[in-house]
Amino acid sequence: MRTTDTFPGVRWVGEPELFIRIDPKKCTGCGGCLKVCLAGCFEIVEKTARVRSLEWCMECSACWYVCPQDAVEFSWPKGGSGFHTRFG
Amino acid sequence: MDCTLRESYDVVVVGAGFGGTAAAHHTARHGLSTLVIERAENIGEKIISGLTIPIYGFLFGPGFIRDGTPPIERPVDGIINYIVTDIDREEIVIDDTLRFPKPFAPIFSFGYNAYCADFCQWQADEAVRVGAEVVTKTVVSDLIIEGGSVRGVVLEDGRNIAAKIVINAEGSQGLLSVKAGIRKKYPPRVISLADTYDYTMKKGDVDRIFGHSIRFLWAWDEQNMAPPLGYGNGLMVWPYGESLHFMQDQCLAMDDGTVQNLKKRFETYHKNVVEKLPWWRDDVEAKAELRAHTWQCFEIFVGLDDELRAMPLSTGGMLLVGDAGGLESTELCDGVPAAWFSAEIAGRVAREAIEAGDVSEDFLSRYDREIRNHPIIAWSITAPHRYLLRNAQQDHDLGSLRKYVHAGWGFGALAHTVSPLFRVFLSAIRQDPRVLTSWVRMFFRNYRHWHHSYSDDVSSCGDEVIRPGDRSVGEYIFIFLMWWSDLVLTVFWPVLWTMSYLFVPFAFLMKAIAGFMVWLYEPLYVRLLGRLDTSAVGMTEALIRFTVKARAATFGAKKRREP
Ligand SMILES: Cc1cc2nc3c(=O)[nH]c(=O)nc-3n(C[C@H](O)[C@H](O)[C@H](O)COP(=O)(O)OP(=O)(O)OC[C@H]3O[C@@H](n4cnc5c(N)ncnc54)[C@H](O)[C@@H]3O)c2cc1C
Ligand code: SF4
Ligand code: SF4
Repeated sequence: MRTTDTFPGVRWVGEPELFIRIDPKKCTGCGGCLKVCLAGCFEIVEKTARVRSLEWCMECSACWYVCPQDAVEFSWPKGGSGFHTRFG
Repeated sequence: MDCTLRESYDVVVVGAGFGGTAAAHHTARHGLSTLVIERAENIGEKIISGLTIPIYGFLFGPGFIRDGTPPIERPVDGIINYIVTDIDREEIVIDDTLRFPKPFAPIFSFGYNAYCADFCQWQADEAVRVGAEVVTKTVVSDLIIEGGSVRGVVLEDGRNIAAKIVINAEGSQGLLSVKAGIRKKYPPRVISLADTYDYTMKKGDVDRIFGHSIRFLWAWDEQNMAPPLGYGNGLMVWPYGESLHFMQDQCLAMDDGTVQNLKKRFETYHKNVVEKLPWWRDDVEAKAELRAHTWQCFEIFVGLDDELRAMPLSTGGMLLVGDAGGLESTELCDGVPAAWFSAEIAGRVAREAIEAGDVSEDFLSRYDREIRNHPIIAWSITAPHRYLLRNAQQDHDLGSLRKYVHAGWGFGALAHTVSPLFRVFLSAIRQDPRVLTSWVRMFFRNYRHWHHSYSDDVSSCGDEVIRPGDRSVGEYIFIFLMWWSDLVLTVFWPVLWTMSYLFVPFAFLMKAIAGFMVWLYEPLYVRLLGRLDTSAVGMTEALIRFTVKARAATFGAKKRREP
């Protein structure tokens, strides 16, 4: 359950589809994406990163920037879904 | 998603942020059919930033912002830098030399704090008023590219929208800039992630604790107070209307490629600041309540990386505005002015290209040249003291840390900003000398507006019916002075115009002179500030009373009909 206690002021709208993907063929399992993601969206399974859940993703794109292998495929969630805030 | 969209427009703008809406305002006002496409449902809710918009953005940026009444949250008339040398012993050096003098502060200020959501919505409304269409909840997923030239955009549902020119103002990720092959994805060492906390606090408490100053914090690695690694990371506290923003940012990777564990780092910084920093622990903690916690990436010091700086800002059929073109330099808090300046130039170049029927790469490269020649943009993406600051942190050299903090966010900053500011000043009065009086009106109007947004006296804020006799004598004097100055400035325009050219070579010299003389005038200025802090209190209060009691129209506020 996403609650405003964990992320006050932010609300998630809609159920974003998998707008961020990891190409398992390119991923070396270095863990970079895991380290920078404040929303804990990734996990490493058998030495390869994969998306655990984009539930709390703030669309910051840190994972996309940091991947040395270009294994993170990044796009925006559709139709205004994803996170919303008024206090930015 | 909107089904009423046409199949083609003169100009399609991607992104309704600070830059996109300003560019759209320009092209729509000049009669070009203009569509702005924004992925967020409500404008601004996907842009996160703790924001001081520096005053030079308002002075030299788009006229509709300067002459309008945008939603600002608080004027900023001073910067206080805390250099933490030993937090456990509470040893902190303070540099608060950069302040605006009373009695004009805080009416005349260095900038304004604002929320992106409200501000960008206001800009979008102004663009719609002059004829732009804005569609939200729609992602531009790709570009139509024919013969190496951009011919339009592809929406997330696969629909194509043709455009003579696409103005790409998509922000710092630059996904479309990368897709178009114009720019490369930035390396993580020039990207920072900002962790932002928005606290609510009573306006009276904000006034008492922060006044109209923003606070910066600098520290060494082992203090674990402010993020010291990477290029110029910092920690800043912005006072807003009835809240404050606390932002800490950290580069994603070090020069050697080591990736930071950001969750751990940010938690440590935040904990240490709220527990160990005396003014936070004693003054803020008890009175502030967390309202929002957000984060966002942005590029920094792109200008210091030669390769990134050399990347183009346009291609056939497309211009890159603001962050999308790497014009961001957040560490000095100046991404918004760069977005505004580039948006105005992009709007004009798009117009010229469409009028000439030539949207080729060659024709549009004039945009690149103009951006690189813009005194403030050029300065803001290249200023070296940010890089030097980072070296000082790495070398643990307190002397140079103080020196570069002073040169970036203290009085020393004046020395190297003076040349670009003087050059844009000369070019602004060349275009219209009455800009001087619009600036004066703007300061008073903005101050009055923000004051009334946070007082119960809402009645004085909306549309006003002005009858003769409603105004005070002071207001009549103000109006007369402005009118008289406009007249004099108009009559003497040819003289001013000629003189402004004569001053140009001098403008280039000013940096050297100001830098050399800083030792002389800074102590004088600091003494003056000290004196005025005590002696000009009465005058300051009188000026504020005059400003908040006056009619909005006295300061040039226009009456608005609802759209
Ligand atoms: C934490 C932080 C603090 C900052 N502090 C300051 C400061 O104090 N002072 C200052 O002047 N600047 C500051 N900045 C920088 C400033 O916010 C940016 O430079 C400014 O917002 C750039 O404006 P822009 O129009 O280029 O892009 P943005 O304002 O980022 O706007 C981009 C817009 O495009 C939309 N978009 C993106 N891709 C698509 C797509 N494919 N389809 C449709 N819509 C899309 C986004 O939703 C967004 O609304 C800060 C930035 C951050 C992140
Ligand atoms: S965009 Fe940011 S929040 Fe979302 S998965 Fe990537 S790093 Fe995590
Ligand atoms: S950063 Fe890239 S290579 Fe490293 S684990 Fe994540 S996806 Fe794999």
